[in-house]
Amino acid sequence: MHPSLVLAKKSLLLFFGKRPAVLITFIVPIALIYLFGQVFGLNKKAGDSGPTGISLAVVNQSSDPGAQKIIDALRAEKTFSVITERKGPNGTNVPLTEEDARSAIRNNAYHFALVIPPDLISDTQFGLHLRLLSDPRNEIESQMVNGILQKTLFSSVPNLLMHSLNKRAEQEIGSQKFENFRHKLAGNIAQNFGGDPQGIYDRLSAGDFWHDHFGESTGAAKKSASAGEAANKGAGAAAANTPTEDEPVKNGAGDVLSKLIRFDQEQLVGKDVSNPMAARLVGGYAVMFLLFALNGAASSLFDERRSGILQRILSAPVRPADILWGRFLFGVLVGLIQLMVMFFAGKVIYGLDLAPHIVPLIVLSIAAAAACTAFGMLLAAVSKSQEAANGLSTLLVLAMSAIGGAWFPVSMMPAAIQKVAHFTIVYWAVEGFTNILWAGQTVRQILPNILVLVGIAVGVMFIATASFKRNKMFE
Amino acid sequence: MLSVRSVTKKYGDLVALNDVTLDIKPGEFFGLLGPNGAGKSTLMSLAAGLKTPDSGEVLIGGKSYATSSDENRRQVGFVPQTVALYEDLSAEQNLKIFGQLYGLGSAELKARIEEVLGAARLLDRRNDKVKTFSGGMQRRLNIAATLLHRPKILLCDEPTVGVDPQSRNAIFDHLQELNRGGVTIIYSTHYMEEAERLCSRIGIIDHGKILALGTLDVLVAQLPFEEEISFAQNPQTDRLRAELASLGQVQSADGITRFRPKVGVPLSQFYQLAEAQRIAPRAFTHNRPTLEALFLHLTGRNLRD
Repeated sequence: MHPSLVLAKKSLLLFFGKRPAVLITFIVPIALIYLFGQVFGLNKKAGDSGPTGISLAVVNQSSDPGAQKIIDALRAEKTFSVITERKGPNGTNVPLTEEDARSAIRNNAYHFALVIPPDLISDTQFGLHLRLLSDPRNEIESQMVNGILQKTLFSSVPNLLMHSLNKRAEQEIGSQKFENFRHKLAGNIAQNFGGDPQGIYDRLSAGDFWHDHFGESTGAAKKSASAGEAANKGAGAAAANTPTEDEPVKNGAGDVLSKLIRFDQEQLVGKDVSNPMAARLVGGYAVMFLLFALNGAASSLFDERRSGILQRILSAPVRPADILWGRFLFGVLVGLIQLMVMFFAGKVIYGLDLAPHIVPLIVLSIAAAAACTAFGMLLAAVSKSQEAANGLSTLLVLAMSAIGGAWFPVSMMPAAIQKVAHFTIVYWAVEGFTNILWAGQTVRQILPNILVLVGIAVGVMFIATASFKRNKMFE
Repeated sequence: MLSVRSVTKKYGDLVALNDVTLDIKPGEFFGLLGPNGAGKSTLMSLAAGLKTPDSGEVLIGGKSYATSSDENRRQVGFVPQTVALYEDLSAEQNLKIFGQLYGLGSAELKARIEEVLGAARLLDRRNDKVKTFSGGMQRRLNIAATLLHRPKILLCDEPTVGVDPQSRNAIFDHLQELNRGGVTIIYSTHYMEEAERLCSRIGIIDHGKILALGTLDVLVAQLPFEEEISFAQNPQTDRLRAELASLGQVQSADGITRFRPKVGVPLSQFYQLAEAQRIAPRAFTHNRPTLEALFLHLTGRNLRD
């Protein structure tokens, strides 16, 4: 056999003899592909992809029936999980007020609230008025919410515009003249395109005649039965310009509609942050690399055992617990330094404003480093070798980073994954860092994040210590 | 000084030590001789308090690890089989770490580092990283790191594996000097030459049992022969070899034949046969019986099998 073949065969033998290497090469990528597929909803049916369940509060201050139509349209949009009520003092649900929504956004309960004001449709002006309150902490999420919100509103807005136009026309030319105009228009439509003139008149008066035909192309509204086939054909030209799911605002209708809707946006949180994306980016990646670094540090216990150093240490008046806690302390210190260095890099590169947040940043960094170190210790404790620990660590760190929101906002993930995210260290750390850097929260405000991370650290260290005892690492 | 009382240690179904009893006296240089897998390292680990016996007990100065763990550990120094040092740190940094683990104060530690580095002839390399040291230097530092807290008992678990002959001699000299200074040394090895050269008393261990125990003379006296004659294998000696079988034990390996005459067989009988084959006396070497021969006699196997 040719020496190259012999050597290739040798390499294959060695490679397949090492289970961790095989795990990293084949199983980890497959697991990650599956996981990211879940995150991005790739296993859903066509047309059902994209994020779901982004919380959107809707505060309805309008008595116009059109407001309910907007809410219904938003409810029909799978991207949003529409919230219109909150629990009242006696446990019953009460409608959300603007103050409720503002407070919830500031407390990071959700990030967007659409306020439908009393002047949604004005008697004196043509067009609609809406307000959006937001905490755009996740830039990708904000862009997506804005886009889908526009699309949803545009698809339900034409009938509201007609309603507004009716009001405005009645105001300008008088109700009798305008009624005559509608009768003539209905007659002409029925004569040229077919249909019942009275039915067409009724729908023109209600302002939803045009909407039904715009809606036909978007699929957002049901097909009109009363206006007839001919009327449907006549509306087809206008419907072609209606925003579609793929192109919500690019076409002409979108441009026109956007000018007709007064959409006031108010950012409630993070107004002073110069680089919003950086707050999440730096926090997310810092935690991910912290996990990698501390896992490596923990798995180096295998090196010490192999070299006999562990034996030498244990032959001194040193207990296994001293070794574990020494390593834990090292991990927390290195983790704290690493996080601080990364945040400083964020300041230098992206202009992150650290000075006002230094205390909560340090406290949360210590908690995050403690949780990450404990996690690394647990991996070392349950693995049979350093290679196995490294393979497991690659899989779990990447998975936790993806699910926990280190790479993109958790709110963009499927609802089930969002629930799983709460079981990751990354989620609590990244949310905490974002709350500090973006929303300027204090130690007291991020206490839940700190407590969860410290709880994870203590619980996981307890399990790791028991596992080390069971697998006789120190014998 | 160190007592092993009826100790048994198992790893699953494997019995590493089987009801071993052993007493080491103060100042002894005790050799634990046996092939790989005999149970030497397990016995050393138990003596160092790194493992606990399944049954029986290990006493240091009459106290067991169960009741006087820290006290026992301060009396024992353990030299692992491998070079158990941080190779990316300097010699002095390593010694500081291991000294501090024994609770040595800074002044005392500084003085002890000077002493052990001097004894290991590494003073001039104190600030160099361990990975830049030769194998022999690393081994010497490996021992030095164990001596910082002035242990009364030094447990050396095959400390010369993979060491060149020159460094090995340096290590032997160092250990003998320590022993002369009053340190009790327990030295495990599978090299009978090391045990013969260094140890005042030797225990031969195999399959977790102590097979023989005593001074070299006492051990060798257990053999059923008093002499060993070795000669090179060649066509001329082949016929002699065949004829010797009835007079004693004949063993050939690596081109050398070793003849161990039965007790009572006179050497003159051997030389008569040699003369008959026209082999000159200078072709023969007389050896004192070795521990290797004793091990073979006791187990039917060579030490390095």
